[in-house]
Amino acid sequence: MREMDLTGVPCPMNWVRARLALEEIEDGEPLELVLDPGEPMRSVPLSAREDGHDVTVTGNRVTIVKR
Amino acid sequence: MTLTDSELERYSRQLVLPEWSGEAQERVRGSSAIVVGAGALGSPAATYLAAAGLGRIGVVDSDDVELSNLHRQPLHYTPDIGLRKAENAAVKLRALNPEVEVDPYPARLGSDNAETIVTGADVVVDCADSFETRYAVNDACCALGVPLVEGAVLGLGGQVMSIVPGRTACYRCAFPAPPSPESVPSCREAGVLGAVAGIVGSIQALEALKLLTGLGTPLVDRVLHIDAATMEHTLIATERREDCASCSRVAASAQSG
Repeated sequence: MREMDLTGVPCPMNWVRARLALEEIEDGEPLELVLDPGEPMRSVPLSAREDGHDVTVTGNRVTIVKR
Repeated sequence: MTLTDSELERYSRQLVLPEWSGEAQERVRGSSAIVVGAGALGSPAATYLAAAGLGRIGVVDSDDVELSNLHRQPLHYTPDIGLRKAENAAVKLRALNPEVEVDPYPARLGSDNAETIVTGADVVVDCADSFETRYAVNDACCALGVPLVEGAVLGLGGQVMSIVPGRTACYRCAFPAPPSPESVPSCREAGVLGAVAGIVGSIQALEALKLLTGLGTPLVDRVLHIDAATMEHTLIATERREDCASCSRVAASAQSG
């Protein structure tokens, strides 16, 4: 599974990097992100859902399945 | 080809657009645009294309900056009076975005040099102030198959149309003949409000980005007319003419290809 450590990467750059990584994987493949608490944990999963992906949050780890 | 950290940061707010992508950004970076005119329409058009990350922008203008230009041509500032517009525009655009290669053409585009200037461009944004130049740009883009965004502003009115030669109506299809010279006030005499030109030039930049990336639906086979006094926007349908002197030949080659 593709994993990205985005701790220390503020909004919106964390979502920019995640989005570019999502472009590189196939539909149905997961991308796992490690995010800082606070705004990143609120806004990145929300942006991913708005883009139509499946999102699961466990602690500070966010798994996005590309749709 | 991948985007650098600095590019990711510079373009972050467009890269997070659902309708945009890293692929779109790379396509734009690999693209070359010609902006004809560095005046009221060309200033906003070239500014937004440079800001968005075009790989190369050629700016064509033979005029010098005059005091009477400044109310509507936001690439040119008061200390720039007397400078060549094409060269001053290049200085400003490079300062805005050093990632963009900007080539000034301090020349008047006409039927004699239009094809030379347009060759190699992926899109042309026509911000010229005369019918003669518009037809020359349209003819060159049709001959070379280069997508084109036409724009014009007069008084509080503006219009824009996008053209994919061989597939959609060209400028000559929509406007087969120029209006009689007596009925056309020259740009020097006619009134224009800078903000109205800003709207039209911005739409032209947006259309160029749409044509390059496939974003949305371009303004093809339609002429957008804007009345800035009432803010009424009208879309007027137009279609290809089989006997068009500019683009009927393009259709034949496109079909055989």
